[in-house]
Amino acid sequence: MPDRLCPKDFARGIGVIFTREINAYFDTPIAYIYASVFLILSCSTFMNAFFLNGVLEMAPYFDLLPFFLIPFIPAITMRAWAEEYSQHTIELLMTMPLQSIQIVLGKYLSALVFYLIVLLGTTPIVLMLLFLGSPDLGLIFSSYLGALCLGAFFLSFGLFASGLTRDQIVAYVVAVLLGFAFVLSGHEKVVEILDGLAPAYHVGSLLYESLSIAPHYRAFTRGIIALPAVLYFSLLSIFFLWMNDLSLKRDRG
Amino acid sequence: MRRQDDSVRRKALNFEVVYHKFVPIYPLCSPFPTPNSDVNIDFPYPPMIRVTDVAKWYGSIRAVENINFSLAPGEIVGFVGPNGAGKSTVLKMLATYLLPTSGKIIIDGLDVVTHPLSIRRKIGYLSGDTPLYQAMRVDKFLRFCGKARGLSGNILDKKLAWVVDICGLSPHLYKRIDQCSTGFRQRIGVGAALIHDPPILLLDEPTHGFDPLQVLAFRDLIQSLSENRIILFSSHIIHEVAALSDRVLIIHQGNLLADGSIDNLAQKTGQSRDLEAIFAHLVRQQNCGEIAHA
Repeated sequence: MPDRLCPKDFARGIGVIFTREINAYFDTPIAYIYASVFLILSCSTFMNAFFLNGVLEMAPYFDLLPFFLIPFIPAITMRAWAEEYSQHTIELLMTMPLQSIQIVLGKYLSALVFYLIVLLGTTPIVLMLLFLGSPDLGLIFSSYLGALCLGAFFLSFGLFASGLTRDQIVAYVVAVLLGFAFVLSGHEKVVEILDGLAPAYHVGSLLYESLSIAPHYRAFTRGIIALPAVLYFSLLSIFFLWMNDLSLKRDRG
Repeated sequence: MRRQDDSVRRKALNFEVVYHKFVPIYPLCSPFPTPNSDVNIDFPYPPMIRVTDVAKWYGSIRAVENINFSLAPGEIVGFVGPNGAGKSTVLKMLATYLLPTSGKIIIDGLDVVTHPLSIRRKIGYLSGDTPLYQAMRVDKFLRFCGKARGLSGNILDKKLAWVVDICGLSPHLYKRIDQCSTGFRQRIGVGAALIHDPPILLLDEPTHGFDPLQVLAFRDLIQSLSENRIILFSSHIIHEVAALSDRVLIIHQGNLLADGSIDNLAQKTGQSRDLEAIFAHLVRQQNCGEIAHA
């Protein structure tokens, strides 16, 4: 009978890793720097559009969010595994009575909470809109939910990329490239170019419909919380977390 | 020799009492077959670790092969060999970090492949690279290790106090690990391996970075811990192994060359009771064998 953990012990193990990881984010100034840079860039871009358009909505912010997340999320996740390998603490973790999936989930949840904290840094925009008038709060809520799903998905493949290598820079570059692939495959111009390259196969349209985050994320930013979109982000996140777990198991030989 | 056997037996008796008193959740293993190694050791009690025909390959590179030995409670066993001989690989397999490519490792009746979690609860392992989270404070790091091993509340506080005491960690307990000296970091690593009071201690190059006084203190610590535990430690410093071990495993180029007490090995190889001479003799013998085979 192979080792099994009861749900309580399983959750406890995740909690131990989660606590260490979330503290690790705030133990170093780098997390504060990432968060500040992200918030300053994304909010200032929005404010520029807001004052030009003069419309009480957050759509410009959420439209640009995927492009800001491409460099930001890999910066959060690149150290997650690569640092464990470079400091050899991976041996410490993997010889503790924890399943590798508990460690993966602990790291993932801590990164997700850190991302949520950063996302909460944008709430002054909502307060400002409320102060100035009556924005569509339902639309803002669904857009935030979309941003959460998007971030959760980016984090999952960022962690996966970090687990593939011992070098943080390589992990960062791999995750950024994956991010670009998922975001740009939904861009109209990219779809047109890819369709034009192989008109018989409609590669661009195929990628747009099957792989790209664009149609799913857009649903949220239009105020629609659609089940297919939630499933898309959830299943892909689970897939990358599972791959991350597999890559750890593979390392045991 | 007889005195040593008596000592081992005495340790075994102590083990029975102390072991069940402090760690009642670990049942003693089911009867094992007799050890299959170069030197037959008559255990007065069943061995707790049994390694049978273990090999580890990294792709096409052979790390170790035909590794056979058994370890019983109360033993301090030194694992000696030059750098790259395969000591760390064997320890990593015992600690369940690596899986053996072939062969079997049974610890307290459980297979490392199918029951890694149960085995990890019984093992304290210090890797040769001294894996520590540099940005963490010493006390927080030890607490993390304890919590990950299922300790909490008063028990965790008591174990932490015990580890801080025996490893001499109190002077820098509230410092960040990256502000501690190499020797102190090594002591933190030993403390982390001991935090759950495991019946098996696997230490890979534990005295790396120690000054001579720290080495002496470490020897005392290991001696004091050995009564109710298996302690397997690796080193490429032969006199250190000779000073501390009841028994020695000699490994070279991935092969276990010998297994036994220094007296036993001296007798077998016809050398003086000098581990360095025994080691050199065995390595020469292996090299000659390889040349003859070629």
